[in-house]
Amino acid sequence: MKRFYFYCTLLLYSCTADKETIKVKGSDTEVNLAVLLAESFHEKNDNLLISVSGGGSGLGIASLLNGTADIANSSRNINEEEEDLFKDKSIQLSSFIFAQDAIAFVVSDKLPLDSINTKELAKILSGTYTNWSQLIKKDQPINIYGRQSNSGTHEFVKMVLNIHFSPYAKQMNGNAQILEAIKADNSGIGYVGAGYVVKGTTEGIKILTIFTDTSIAVSPLDEGKIASGDYFFQRPLFQYYKAKDYEKVKEFLNFEKSKKGLDIIHSSGYFPVKQSL
Amino acid sequence: MNVNKRELTDWVFKQAFKATGLITIALLGGIFIMLLYNSISFFAKISPVDFFTGSQWDPETNYSILPLIVSTMFVAVGSMLIAIPLGILTAAYISEFAPKKLQVILKPIIEMLAAIPSVAIGFLGIVLLGPGISKLFGIQNGLNALNGSILLSIMALPTIITISEDAINAVPKSHREASLALGANKWETLFKVTIPAGFPGLIAAVMLGLGRALGETMTVLMATGNASAIPKNFLDSVRTITATIAIEMGEVPYQTTHYFALFAIAAILFVITLVINLLGEYFANRLRNYHQ
Repeated sequence: MKRFYFYCTLLLYSCTADKETIKVKGSDTEVNLAVLLAESFHEKNDNLLISVSGGGSGLGIASLLNGTADIANSSRNINEEEEDLFKDKSIQLSSFIFAQDAIAFVVSDKLPLDSINTKELAKILSGTYTNWSQLIKKDQPINIYGRQSNSGTHEFVKMVLNIHFSPYAKQMNGNAQILEAIKADNSGIGYVGAGYVVKGTTEGIKILTIFTDTSIAVSPLDEGKIASGDYFFQRPLFQYYKAKDYEKVKEFLNFEKSKKGLDIIHSSGYFPVKQSL
Repeated sequence: MNVNKRELTDWVFKQAFKATGLITIALLGGIFIMLLYNSISFFAKISPVDFFTGSQWDPETNYSILPLIVSTMFVAVGSMLIAIPLGILTAAYISEFAPKKLQVILKPIIEMLAAIPSVAIGFLGIVLLGPGISKLFGIQNGLNALNGSILLSIMALPTIITISEDAINAVPKSHREASLALGANKWETLFKVTIPAGFPGLIAAVMLGLGRALGETMTVLMATGNASAIPKNFLDSVRTITATIAIEMGEVPYQTTHYFALFAIAAILFVITLVINLLGEYFANRLRNYHQ
C-alpha cells in the first residue's frame, strides 16, 4: 500500500513538475500561424508545452485578464476600456509584435480599375459612392464584400480609413467566400488578407494597388515595401502577456524571432517585422 | 419491506423527480435573469427609444435593433410562407391519402430532415442556392433574405409536418364519415371538415416551426449576406438578431456597452421566441382538451 501511494505521488509529480504549459489564446487571424509556430517549437523543446486556441482578439485579452491564458494573440491594439480593466487589477502588460499582415483590395478583372486612392476607397466603403460611374466609366452599382465585424481585418480597415462601413456592405464568412463573390460579381469590391491571395488562385480577380496623396501606388504583394512600412493597409499582429510572466514565455517569443520562426511566418503569407523594431 | 421503508423510498423518489423538474425551470429563469441583468446595464447607457427606433446597427455609435428585427422577420416570415403550405399539405397527404406502405417510408424520411446539421444546410445555401438565385433573378450575389427563407423553411418543415400530421390524425373519424355520408368527396372533406377541425393543432405546428426559424443561427449567418441596412425586399442581404450575436460575440471587449448591447438583443429575441412558443403550446393544449 505504501508503495501505491509512492507511485501515485510520482505520477502526479511527473505531470506537474518539469512540463510547464503556456496557454496562447485569441485572434482567429493568428491562430493558424500560432499553431504552426508552436508545433515547430515543440520539436526542439519538449519540456515546454504550448497550447493554442482561437476565439477572437477580445476573448484572448479577456482570458489574459482572468488568468486562463498566458499569451493573448490580438490583431488589434488593446483598447482603452480593456486597458482600464487591467489597471483595475494592477496587472502590467507587455506586448510583442511577431508578424505583420497586409490587406489586399480585390475587384473583378473585368472592372477597368487598377489602382485606387485611399480617399476614394473610403468613399466607396462608407457608402458615399454607390455607383462605379462616380469614379470610372462604368455604370454599375458598387457591391461591397467585407468580413464580418468580429474580424480584426474589418476593424482594421474601418480604423485606418476612419470610416463607418456602409450598412449595405455584405459581410461574408471568410476570405474564400469574398474571393468567390468577387469572381462572380463584376461590380464588387472586397478585401482579404494578402497572404490569402498570394497562396490562392487569382484567376478572375484583380488586386488593386493603393496610393495616397503623398505616396506612389503600392501593391500588397510587394514585400520590400511592406518591410519598409510603405503599404497603407498593413498592420502588426500583437501578442500580449503579463510583464511578470516574461521569464515563462521568453523562450517561445525568442523562437518566433529566430530564423526558423521567421520562415514559418513568411510561408504562412504574413510578413516579418521591420528589423529596426 | 416494511411500510415505513416503502414510504421513505416513495418520498425520496418523489423529491428527486421534483428536483429535476425544478432544475429545468431554474435554468430557464437563470438564463432570463442573466440576460435581463446585462440588458439593464445596457439601457443604463443607451435610451430604449434610440434602441427601438434608430435605423442602424453600427456598434459604438448606433445601437438600434430595428434593422435586425426587420431582417429576422423577413427571413422568418418568408420561411413560413414557403413552409406552411408545403408542410400542411404534406401532412394532409400522409395522414389522409398516402397508402400505408408509403406512409411508413415517408414519415421517417421527413423526420430525418431534422437531423441535418444547420451548418450543412448553410453550406448548401452558399454553394448551391446562392448562385442559383443570382442567376434566376439576374442579380450579382445570391446571399439574401430569399436564400435564408428557403433554407429555414427546409429546417422548419419536419416540425410543421410532424405536428400537423398529429393534429389531422387526431380529428375524430366520425367527422370524416359524416362529411362523406353527406356526399362530399375526399378533397371537400379535407379542406372543409378535417383541416378546420384540426386548426388549433395546425396553428401550434406553425408557431413551433416559426420558433425554430427565429432561433436558427448558423444557416442564416452563412447564407444571408449579413448587411445591416433595413432590407427593402427579399433580394436584399439581411442580418438577423441571432447572426449578429454570433458574429460579434467573439471579438467584443468584455463588460463594455457593445457587450451589454448583445445581451439586450438576445433578451429581445428570447422574449419573442418565448411568446411564440407559449402560443404554440397554448394551441397544442387546446387541441388536446378538444379531443378529450
